[in-house]
Amino acid sequence: MQEYFIIIIGAVLINNIVLAQFLGICPFLGVSKKLSAAIGMGAAVTFVLVLAGLFTWLVQTFVLNPFNIGYLQTIAFILIIGALVQFVEMVIKKYSPGLYKALGIYLPLITTNCAVLGVAILNIQKDFDLGKTIVHSVSHALGFTLALILMAGIRERLESEDIPKCMQGVPIALVVASLMSTAFLGFSGLI
Amino acid sequence: MSLLNEFTKGIIKENPLFRLVLGTCPALAITTSVDNGLGMGAAFTAVLLGSNIVISAMRKIIPDSIRIPVYIVIIAAFVTMIDLLMHAFSPDLYKALGIFIPLIVVNCIIIGRAEAFANRNSVVPSIFDALGMGVGFTLALVLMCTFREVLGAGTFLGVRLFPETKAAIMMILPPGGFVTFGCILGFLNKLQAKNA
Amino acid sequence: MLDITKLCIFLLVVSTVAAFGVGYVNSMTAPVIHKQAEQAKVNSFREVYPQGDEVKDETAKYLKKDSSPLLKEVNMAYKGGAPAGVIYTVEPKGFSGPITILAGFDIASRKLTAIKVLNQTETPGLGAKAKDPLFQDQYKGKGTETDLEVSKTPPTKDNQIQAITASTITSKAVTSGINAAREHFAGNFK
Repeated sequence: MQEYFIIIIGAVLINNIVLAQFLGICPFLGVSKKLSAAIGMGAAVTFVLVLAGLFTWLVQTFVLNPFNIGYLQTIAFILIIGALVQFVEMVIKKYSPGLYKALGIYLPLITTNCAVLGVAILNIQKDFDLGKTIVHSVSHALGFTLALILMAGIRERLESEDIPKCMQGVPIALVVASLMSTAFLGFSGLI
Repeated sequence: MSLLNEFTKGIIKENPLFRLVLGTCPALAITTSVDNGLGMGAAFTAVLLGSNIVISAMRKIIPDSIRIPVYIVIIAAFVTMIDLLMHAFSPDLYKALGIFIPLIVVNCIIIGRAEAFANRNSVVPSIFDALGMGVGFTLALVLMCTFREVLGAGTFLGVRLFPETKAAIMMILPPGGFVTFGCILGFLNKLQAKNA
Repeated sequence: MLDITKLCIFLLVVSTVAAFGVGYVNSMTAPVIHKQAEQAKVNSFREVYPQGDEVKDETAKYLKKDSSPLLKEVNMAYKGGAPAGVIYTVEPKGFSGPITILAGFDIASRKLTAIKVLNQTETPGLGAKAKDPLFQDQYKGKGTETDLEVSKTPPTKDNQIQAITASTITSKAVTSGINAAREHFAGNFK
């Protein structure tokens, strides 16, 4: 039990995927202008990331390892993620048009979200079993959503602030991210 | 002349990192020392060169509807080859860059160039395009690294410039990455506003 | 339908060619990578225990269920066929994650020969200084009879190690790992 707890705290706060590991920066900067969009993106990433973590672990354990073709990891994983995103998109479109409308535009972007591939590779590198893989993936996805929502909250307020023209948009967002990441550094002594 | 153009546009006008703000993940993560920046830039350029050549050579036979998955397979293959080669011949760099080598696969610049350039041009211009983008990306990384390594560790390429106790450690920690990148972008915006 | 089959076959062909390409590079690089890993291991063993001409992994023989959980591996260094030194791999928990350390002990003189931090994820500029020779060299030649202690000021006693400035947790973690190895050494090699 304690092990799982450490994984969760570690992944959400200490090694926050965006603010400490720099994965998934593109959507972090691109989709954090509005709170509603941030929540949508967070949900879509959580969904895909957990599924991808599960499938890539299964493929690694039951296909790549037994046949000793670990070097095909990158190709296999990116194909799984690509196919998964396609598949999820089709399923959601068919069975839940409402959800599709909410997530739809973010789904294709996720294939090239390095957070998804990054966490899949980390799961394997850390030698996790299936249970830990799922917990680890969920926690990282939550960490991503947390960072994205916090950022969106701040950026909505920045809209009405008087920022020098050259710093408007992405530059000021990066400075804000820097301050957030400083705050998250404070968590590093937790475990 | 136009080939030279394909080359230089990637360095300044369409610099992938500073102008198009693509490929930000590795730019923030590994720019803690100039060595890392050069290594990442070289790996990136090699992958881009390979994928641009193959994709532009095959552009007439790749069916349009599945071009993206085909690009991804080609890019992933090159990334894995570079990954293995670096592991074998440059283990220190391999260790320093870590997970960001396989993650070149999802670097938006590479698939972006495949889609926007290699798909529409023949092999030779694609080579120049890849080299230009690669050099532009590398220079941008090295610029970030220079700020971070000098301010954060007090060294440049490992050579000590001033005592470590005077260095701002924050610059080589994650916050330093964000703030350096933000300030460089802001400065470039300012320059552009002046020129326009 | 024909279209889909055609597309699938195309994608399959591309994937197969790519896989063979990667496989070829792998067959070229795999031996080099393997050799390098071996060499790196031998080199780091030599760094913590320079004498000895052969090192054997004897983890199974020396690590029992009741051994300290910090101990990960026990390697024996032989010189002229007789055991001369012991090299422990220990993995204490540092400030931001496990720290992997090698510690070499000399059986004849009953002293620590050297330690080497192999892997760590400590804060750059602070805890990561555990890798610096300035810190690691303090352990050279320490006795194995008593536990080592971490002090924040310059050491006054023989069994004290000066902590890395502002990184006491890291310093204590490293020392706790070394102490676990020391205790095992003192108990098993008399």
